[in-house]
Amino acid sequence: MAKHVGYFPELKRNWWLKNRYFTLYMVREATVLPLVFFIACLLAGLYSLLQGQQSFQGWLQFMQNPITIVINLLALVASLFHAATFFTLFPRVMPLRVGGKAIPAKWIILGQWFGVLLVMVLFAWVFGRGV
Amino acid sequence: MTTKRLSIQRYLPEQSKTPFWQEFEVPFDDSTSILEALNHIKEDMDGSLSYRWSCRMAICGSCGVMVNGEPKLGCKSFLREYPGTISIEPLAHFPVQKDLIIDMEIFLEHLAAVQPYLINDSQDSNQTHKQTPAQLAKYLTFSDCINCGLCYSACPQFGLNPEFLGPAALTLAHRYNLDSRDQGKAQRMVQLNREEGVWTCTFVGYCSEVCPKSVDPAAAVNQGKVESAKDLLINLFKR
Repeated sequence: MAKHVGYFPELKRNWWLKNRYFTLYMVREATVLPLVFFIACLLAGLYSLLQGQQSFQGWLQFMQNPITIVINLLALVASLFHAATFFTLFPRVMPLRVGGKAIPAKWIILGQWFGVLLVMVLFAWVFGRGV
Repeated sequence: MTTKRLSIQRYLPEQSKTPFWQEFEVPFDDSTSILEALNHIKEDMDGSLSYRWSCRMAICGSCGVMVNGEPKLGCKSFLREYPGTISIEPLAHFPVQKDLIIDMEIFLEHLAAVQPYLINDSQDSNQTHKQTPAQLAKYLTFSDCINCGLCYSACPQFGLNPEFLGPAALTLAHRYNLDSRDQGKAQRMVQLNREEGVWTCTFVGYCSEVCPKSVDPAAAVNQGKVESAKDLLINLFKR
C-alpha cells in the first residue's frame, strides 16, 4: 500500500495550557525555579562568609529583605509540592516487596513523609540548640 | 427522544488539504456510546464519515478518538457523560489519513522494535514453560494492553518527538523483561537504553490516566528507567 500521510497536526508551543493535567505537570516542573533562587542564596551565603564579617552582614541583611523571604517561602512550598508528587509516584516506580508480599502504596507514601518529618525535627534540634 | 450535538473534525484529502468541523444532532439515551453515535451518523446522516471500529467492547482497541480533547475509546465513552456539544477529533500526535482515521505506522514500528514476544533459545524451549502465580503476578497488569494507542495521544513527549518509543512499546518491553519464561532482556535493553527509549519520558503520567485497561504504562516506563540504570552500572563493571 502506498504510504499516505495526509494531514499532520503540529503540537503548538502552548500545548500544556490546553489540558489541566499537562498544566499541573508544568507546575511540578516549574517548582525548580524558586529552588534555584534558594540554592543561589545558600551559595552566596557561603561565599560571603569566606569574604569576611562585613560581607556576611550584608548577606544577612539581604536574607531579611521581605522579597527574599517571600521567594524563599515560595521555594519551600514548591519543594513540598514537588515532594508530594514525587512521593505519590515513588511506589509505582519502585514497588517494594517484603517476603513476596507487596507493601501497600499508602504505607510507602506515609513512610516518606515520616522521613521528611524526621529530618525537620533533626534540623530543628541541631540548629535550635544554640538559640 | 433527546438529542445531543456532536462536532466532528472531518478531513477529506481529495477535497481539501485542511480539516474542517461538521456538526450533527444525534438522538441518544443513557446507553449510547460515542461509537454508536458515529455509527448512527454514518448509517442515517452522512455515509462519507470514516472511522475505525470493530468489537464494541474495549477489546480490539480500534475506536480511539479525542473526545473533548481527551483520548478515549469510542465504545467505552458515553454521550451521557458529556454536557453540551461533544467535540470529536482523530487521536492526537499521529498523521491523519481521513476523518478520524490515523496512520499508526510509527506506533507499530515502535512496538516491533522492542521484540514483544517470548525470546527463549534454551534446549527445553519446546517444553511447556511453567510459571507460578507469583511469577505471573510480576507482569500481569502490564500484559493487559490492547494497542489502542490512547497513551501515545496522551504523551506530549511523543507529540514533540515521534521517534520516542512511547508508553505502550516500553510497557510491552518491560512486560516481557519481567516474564520468567523470557531470556530476551539483553536484546531489549539496547532499545530501552537509547535516548528515545525510556529516557525521553518525563513522567507526565497522563498515559496511565487515559489507559482504558488500567495498564499503568507510566509505572512500567519508569520501572524501565530503574532497569536501564542498573544495566548501565552492571555493564560498567563488566568491562
